Amino acid sequence: MSKPRVAIFDFACCEGCQLQIVNLEEEIIDLVGAVDVVEWREAMSEQSHEYDIAIVEGSITRPEDEHRLQIIRSRAKILIALGACATIGGVNKMKNNFDLNEVKRCVYGKDAEMPHLATTTTRALHEVVDVDFKIHGCPINGEEFKQVVRDLLLGKKPVIPTYPVCVECKAKENVCRYEYDEICLGPIIRAGCGAPCPSAGWRCFGCRGLVDNPNVDAAKEVMEKYNLTVDDLKQKMVLFNSK
Amino acid sequence: MSVNTISKDRFKQFVEALIQSDQRVVGVQARGDRFVFDDLKAADALRLDYDVTILSPRKYVLPPKEPLLKFDGRASYESLQESEPMVLLGVHPYDMAAINQMDLLFSQDEYDNHYMCRRKKMTIIACDVATPSENVFAASMGTATVDSGYDMLLTDIGDAYVVEAATDNGKALMNLMPDARPASEADIEKRQAVWKKNEHDLNKHMLECKPSFLPKLLEKNYDHPVWEEKARLCYSCGSCNQVCPTCYCFDVQDEVNWDLKTGVRYRAWDGCLLQDFATVAGDHNFRKDRAARFRHRLYRKGKYVPGKIGGQIACVGCGRCITACTAKIANPVDVYNQLMERTDIG
Ligand code: SF4
Ligand code: SF4
Ligand code: SF4
Ligand code: SF4
Ligand code: SF4
Repeated sequence: MSKPRVAIFDFACCEGCQLQIVNLEEEIIDLVGAVDVVEWREAMSEQSHEYDIAIVEGSITRPEDEHRLQIIRSRAKILIALGACATIGGVNKMKNNFDLNEVKRCVYGKDAEMPHLATTTTRALHEVVDVDFKIHGCPINGEEFKQVVRDLLLGKKPVIPTYPVCVECKAKENVCRYEYDEICLGPIIRAGCGAPCPSAGWRCFGCRGLVDNPNVDAAKEVMEKYNLTVDDLKQKMVLFNSK
Repeated sequence: MSVNTISKDRFKQFVEALIQSDQRVVGVQARGDRFVFDDLKAADALRLDYDVTILSPRKYVLPPKEPLLKFDGRASYESLQESEPMVLLGVHPYDMAAINQMDLLFSQDEYDNHYMCRRKKMTIIACDVATPSENVFAASMGTATVDSGYDMLLTDIGDAYVVEAATDNGKALMNLMPDARPASEADIEKRQAVWKKNEHDLNKHMLECKPSFLPKLLEKNYDHPVWEEKARLCYSCGSCNQVCPTCYCFDVQDEVNWDLKTGVRYRAWDGCLLQDFATVAGDHNFRKDRAARFRHRLYRKGKYVPGKIGGQIACVGCGRCITACTAKIANPVDVYNQLMERTDIG
């Protein structure tokens, strides 16, 4: 069997997730040994239109991005969204909370009307094309990335947690932020990161996106138990989980 | 069985000697404003006055993630055993009761080699509760004190500990306590007083029936509205499973290396409250509703597991799930009492 051809692409993002792949260091060699990397702008100059697996980082923010993503989709057998920008829109979606013209003026000033800056509402990849697998996080977790790639190479469905961050947080013996009457997004955000943020004394900011079935109906009553409100909770959702 | 007394100062020397020995020593220590079991580096760090630990000692008896075997394609495999001699220092009676139940469960039906090997290399020094935690209800469950399973039992009687060596391992440890003297009658009475006090004090939530009624109570209430009422707020976060000393469900997964042939099969804690706990091949989930999963945990504790271990209730009243549940719905006593209110248990 010939090695699957893999191409890595990026859209609106900081390229931090690709950096996580680069940071795999010696294991990069194993990765490159197991697959045939045919296009990866951050690491090589070649380009290719022939690939089996497309790994796509970043959000869709311009009409031409949408078009380019559709072409990638049509060529790839498997399309993987890499990182929060791609899986949920992530921080790029914060702008969707404001008037677009105002955002443009604020960010680009007098260049706001330049054609290549014609930004529109931010979308995650799955809001534009079908996505086969999502590797969550801002940035992604290198261990999870490796496991997903190896599972795909084996023809196995990758195991991506459907349970919330609390599972991993509790396993680390953290005291829950709620016990101090503080908000944490852990109960509704997908695990897989190992809960680094609550373990460091922060809250979960929600970078891995919502679990498949978040219990949103519980929010009001549960927040009241801690003298918090749903608005407090919503405010914390803006950073990574804006609409 | 031999019962001795040792002053707290001398006891500290014993702990130092234990740490210097060639066994791994795990003991209860402070972490922030709470307590945890962790490797003990100095006798001063040991906190036998603790109220409750965040996770139970289950994390040593059944580690959160444990390699089971190495494989090489489908061709061959080799069992992996990672256990080492270990002393577990400061196990409260309710947690001891939980370990006793696990020992039964892992040695019956499919004898679990990984578990039992580790368990056999473990020496347990239990200690009676000196400070009740805010949610403990062990007295309601008959686990405020314990009389088996440990190698050694310590009871704080003020300026000294009463030390009971119950097994050969325990008696061997007495060699590290040259200053212990046979407990006086007064010391034994003080120990009785601690037990009596704990039978009363470790009851922050009072179960309104004998634990032995629970299987019957549950049997009659499979469709009770309380399941839905409570589970409405459930996040399916499994915190109640994670912290529980009697939860023993695990999931088995393979981690394969880059050669796509060799790898390791391991097991990791699972939890029956998690959405996909009951998802099987073909993506069928036979416990899709939150309420069904919420009910399952309490049935497990109060009916299913007792059916396997001679009627012992698989909730030992540590109260950890009550503290850990963000939605504040996990309290087993609260649920069982609500069922009592509306049931004639005859
Ligand atoms: S998900 Fe985070 S780290 Fe990854 S590209 Fe987006 S902003 Fe950067
Ligand atoms: S701190 Fe956050 S992630 Fe951790 S248990 Fe509490 S809610 Fe869950
Ligand atoms: S704890 Fe939350 S914010 Fe932190 S990495 Fe995990 S999902 Fe992201
Ligand atoms: S069900 Fe709750 S109280 Fe009972 S043993 Fe488990 S964690 Fe402790
Ligand atoms: S801890 Fe509470 S919210 Fe989480 S799964 Fe258990 S009952 Fe549900």
